[in-house]
Amino acid sequence: MNMAVKNTTPRDITFRVRRFDPDSDAAPFWQEYKLNVTEGMTVLEALHELKAHQAPTLAWRSSCRMGVCGSCGMFINELPQLACQTQVLHLGTDVVSVAPLPNYPNVKDLVPNLEPLIEKHAAIKPFVIHPNSPEVEEPTGEFLQTPEEREAFSQFTYCIKCGLCLAACPTVATDPLFLGPQALAQAYRYTADNRDCGLQERLVAIDAFHGPYQCHLAGACSQACPKGVDPALGIQLLKRTLVLDSIGFGKKKSAVARVSPLADVVKAIEEFAPPPRTVTQ
Amino acid sequence: MMRETRLWSLHLLAIPLILVLLGMHFALMHYAPVFYGMSVEEARSFEVMIERGRSIAQFVLYILLLAAGLYHGFYGLRGILRELPLTPVLSRVVDVGILVFGLLIFALGTYVTWWTFSYRIGG
Repeated sequence: MNMAVKNTTPRDITFRVRRFDPDSDAAPFWQEYKLNVTEGMTVLEALHELKAHQAPTLAWRSSCRMGVCGSCGMFINELPQLACQTQVLHLGTDVVSVAPLPNYPNVKDLVPNLEPLIEKHAAIKPFVIHPNSPEVEEPTGEFLQTPEEREAFSQFTYCIKCGLCLAACPTVATDPLFLGPQALAQAYRYTADNRDCGLQERLVAIDAFHGPYQCHLAGACSQACPKGVDPALGIQLLKRTLVLDSIGFGKKKSAVARVSPLADVVKAIEEFAPPPRTVTQ
Repeated sequence: MMRETRLWSLHLLAIPLILVLLGMHFALMHYAPVFYGMSVEEARSFEVMIERGRSIAQFVLYILLLAAGLYHGFYGLRGILRELPLTPVLSRVVDVGILVFGLLIFALGTYVTWWTFSYRIGG
């Protein structure tokens, strides 16, 4: 945690915003705006203020305003961050630079083209693959999972696909074909899932030159993640999974799901008795 | 095509192998006064080298060291080259080129080691 004391006194902050309109500009350029910033104002709110009063054509992408949707990823003061979660005065500088995420094509102003993120994510088949198709299509029960089995990949389920990790990754910067931390961590998330039997189907994408072995272990992805996910760890765990599988020591998963019949679930709910009251009326 | 995982695993496995074999090479050549009671100059003399080279153990040691060193080095070089923005065709050229070049050097090294192994002093 950054314990440095920030100057949160309301004051004028200069915003250096990188502008680019492919219809009218030959190349991106920086434009400066001044704004009086009060404590608590986020970069996203500042952009709304600028758009309302100074830069009506300024474009960016945002939605939820609370760090859930992952739409407002930007390069703020040279770091990939969510604009809605970054308070301007906590940045500690009187000049704040805002640019589109690096390692992505630029659509307009602060809008990155996230297609590389989506394509890489799709390539690793980000869903539970189970050979027991009839059970998947028309379930007769529950696929069981213990809390310990869930814990094995739990943190990786928090990924919101904001793409900050790819923007921070130095390997993606030099090797655009590198699958990147988001997709690789998600490959581990599904491979580690006890309900999933899809490792062999994912090998085409992940057991390749541009897969996990290209990771330079910089750890920038884990620092950038706004949800506290550690994609760098996911990549290392994926390597271990692949190595064990390649020498025949991979985790053996049952092709038959441990299905708890729905009738059992209903019965368990019906038999559920609440704990005795601790307060008498 | 071999899985990248196996290629990468071999790259890592080559490290301890190189450390052990290189240690034996150093013991033979550079620390001869300590292990064999002869001076470094004597250990490097033509006659002593040829004599040692006729040992099957040394023949195996150097072939293994050659293979492990070349594999580790060329796999690393491939990694550096393939990170460049290459077209798929150029990537393939790098893969095949490195494989062929590595095999050629291995063949040359094997020939030299075999020549030493089979050399008879005085014809």
